[in-house]
Amino acid sequence: MHASPSQTLRADVVVIGTGAGGAPVAARLAEAGMDVVVLEAGPRLEPAQLTGDEGEMTAALYTLHVAQGSGLSLYAGNCVGGSTLINDALCWRPPPEVLASWHEEHGLDAFSAAAFGAHVDRAWEDVHASPTGPDHLNRNARRLALGATRLGWAGEAMPRSVKGCANLGMCNFGCPSGAKQSTARTYIPQAEAAGARIVPNTRVDQIEVKGGRAQAVLASRIDPVTRLRVGTLRVQARLVCVAAGVLGTPALLLRSGIACVAAGAGAGVQLHTSLHVTARFLEPVHGYYGPTMAYAVSEFSDVNGRTGPGFMLENTAVHPIATASALPGFGPAHARLMSELPFLARTLVVLRDQARGRVRLGAAGAPELHYSLGVSDLLRLRHGMVAIAQAYLAAGALEVYLPLNGSSPVRTESELARIPAQPLDPAQVSLLYAVHLFGGACMARGPDRGACDQDGRLFGVEGVVVSDASSLPSNTGVNPQITILANALRIAEAVVTRGTAS
Amino acid sequence: MSAPPLGAHADDVASALSALDRRAFLRLAGALIVAGSGPLGCHSGHSERGPDGGLEQLTPRTYAVFQAAAERVLGPGPAELVHRGVVNPAEIADRWLARLPELAPPLRAGLLVLEFAPFPLLPKLRPFTALPPSAQDAVLADLMGSSLDWKRTLFKGIKSFACLTFYSAAPSRALTGYPGPFGGPAGAEAIAQAMEEEE
Repeated sequence: MHASPSQTLRADVVVIGTGAGGAPVAARLAEAGMDVVVLEAGPRLEPAQLTGDEGEMTAALYTLHVAQGSGLSLYAGNCVGGSTLINDALCWRPPPEVLASWHEEHGLDAFSAAAFGAHVDRAWEDVHASPTGPDHLNRNARRLALGATRLGWAGEAMPRSVKGCANLGMCNFGCPSGAKQSTARTYIPQAEAAGARIVPNTRVDQIEVKGGRAQAVLASRIDPVTRLRVGTLRVQARLVCVAAGVLGTPALLLRSGIACVAAGAGAGVQLHTSLHVTARFLEPVHGYYGPTMAYAVSEFSDVNGRTGPGFMLENTAVHPIATASALPGFGPAHARLMSELPFLARTLVVLRDQARGRVRLGAAGAPELHYSLGVSDLLRLRHGMVAIAQAYLAAGALEVYLPLNGSSPVRTESELARIPAQPLDPAQVSLLYAVHLFGGACMARGPDRGACDQDGRLFGVEGVVVSDASSLPSNTGVNPQITILANALRIAEAVVTRGTAS
Repeated sequence: MSAPPLGAHADDVASALSALDRRAFLRLAGALIVAGSGPLGCHSGHSERGPDGGLEQLTPRTYAVFQAAAERVLGPGPAELVHRGVVNPAEIADRWLARLPELAPPLRAGLLVLEFAPFPLLPKLRPFTALPPSAQDAVLADLMGSSLDWKRTLFKGIKSFACLTFYSAAPSRALTGYPGPFGGPAGAEAIAQAMEEEE
C-alpha cells in the first residue's frame, strides 16, 4: 500500500523492518487476527526488477556503513525482505554451545535447547531449508572441499533455504529466479494474505512514548528514486515491534530518547568479521555459476562440538566487483588477475569475533558503530587467511592471493610459512567486512545487563518489543538466518499468548 | 589548465586531512606548512568540468582526481576504457555518493589530500592530476605501503570505490570474461549447459 505525506495510520501492531527479525512477527500476528502495519525503509522490488546485475543490485538492495575504529565495511539489506533478500540462503541451526551460553550465562530460559528447538524447527520448515546436493556444488565450492579433504579437515555442504534453485549464482542480488526463500517470498506474502499492510520506502525516525508507554511511531516517507524525504507518516499502535537491524534498532531507541534503556541500547554489538582469499587455477572454475556459497570447512570452528580457534571457511562467488575489491594491489597486476576471472576461486573467513562494540548516534541521528578488533581477533583472522591458502594449495592452485595490499602471490607452503605470525593490520586488508551483526539491544535478565527481557520487551517502556538480531546476546559462530527467524517466531508467539496490550 | 598556487588550497588540504584523521593531521600539519612553498605543476589529462548532467556529491576537482586515480588503480585495460569514455568511474561514483551521502565527505577529503598534499606527506611536488602516470603510481604505492594508518586507509578507500564503480559498468565485463548477469529462464538454461560441460 502507499501512504501519502503527513498521513496517519492506526493498527494493533506496527512492525519496523521486513527482514528475518520483523517479517515472521508480522506474519504470525496478522494470522492471529491482529491488525498489522509493516514499515520498511527500503524499496519493494518486483521480481522483474531483480536483474542479477551486480552493480545495479548492490545499489538497489544494499546499505553500507563503515565501522569507526576498524574501518570494517558493514553491509545489510535495504529493501523488502531485508538481509534475507541479499544473503546466500545458508541455514545453520543455532549451535548448542551458543544456546547454552544464552540460557545459562545470560539467564535466558527461553533458549534452553528444548524450549527453543521447536521454533528452530518451524523456521527451518518455513524457509524450506534443505540439503545442498552435488548438482548445486559448483567448481568454486569443490576446490575448497578438495583442499579440505586432502588436508583431513572437517567440512560439509551447507543447507540452503531454496526451492528449485536454478544455479543462477545471484543469491545475494535478490535471486532473480525466485528460488531463494527470503522473507519477501515467505513471511511477507503470508502477512499480506492475513491482512497486514506493507509500507515500503518509509524510515522510522522515532518511537513516541508517553507515560512510559509507546503510543506511535513517526516515520519519513522516502522517494524511491532520490531517497530523499518526501513526507511523513505516523502509525498509532498498541505494540511497536522493532526489527530495524543491529545498527537501525539501537539507533531508533536512542533517537527516541528512551532513557531507561540508555545503558543497554547500542551496547554489546558483536560481528562475524570476514575477509576473502582468492586463488587461481589452471582449469576454469567459473565461480559465478551455481549457489554463491555452499561449502563450509568447520575444522576451525568452536561450536557444534568443535574446539577450534573459532572461525569457519566458506566458499564465495567470484563476481567482478567483489573480487576486484578483495584482490591485493593495483595497476597492471590487478588488471591481469581480473582478466583471469573465470579461473579464480574464492573463500572467506567467518570469524566468531571476541570484540564487542557499541552503536552510537552520529550526524543527523544516523547509526555509527564503534568497533575495534582485538589482538585475538586479528590473530585468528590471519590464521583463517592462511588456512584458506593452505586448502587452495592442497587443491592444486597455481597461485593464492592474500587480501593484503602489497603482498605477493603465494605459490608454495614454504612461501606461506614466511607470512609474519603477527595480528593482521586492518588497514592493510583489501576488504575487511561484516554482514553478520548481533546485539545492540540485547535480551538480558534485567535492565542493568541489557535492553530487553527474553520475550523482547523493552525494559522500562511498555508496548515495545525487539525481535531482530540486535536482541541476541552474542554472535553465533554460524550463519545466523535460522536463529534470527526462530527467535522472531518465538517472540511473536509470546505476543500472541499475552495479547498486545501487555 | 594551470593549477592554482598551493596556498589557495592549504585550507582544503588541512580540512581534508582533519576529516581523514584529526591526530594524523596534527602530526603532519607542520610538514604541510613547510611544504607550502614547493613548486607546482599543471593539470594535464583530466577535465575538471565533470559530466554534462552536473555533479551532486563530487566537486569538479575531486571528480578529476578520482578519475585519474581510478585509471591507475584499475590498470591498463580498464584505463583504456575510461580514457575512451566507455566507462566513467567518477560519474558512477557521484551517483553512488548521492545514495550514500554520509560517505561523500571522507572520500572528497581523501581525494583532496591525494591531489594537493605535497612532499613529505606524499612523494610529489605537484597536484596528483598533473603528474605523469609513473609518478601517480609511485604516489599510490606510497599510500599502499605506508606505515601510516591514514595513508593505507586512503588507498583502500580509493581502490574500493574505483573497483566498485568500474566493474559495475557492463562494458567492463569484456575485460574479465564474466558472462553474467544471468536473469530469467534463458540464463538458467545457459548455466545448466555450462555446468554440465564442466562435469
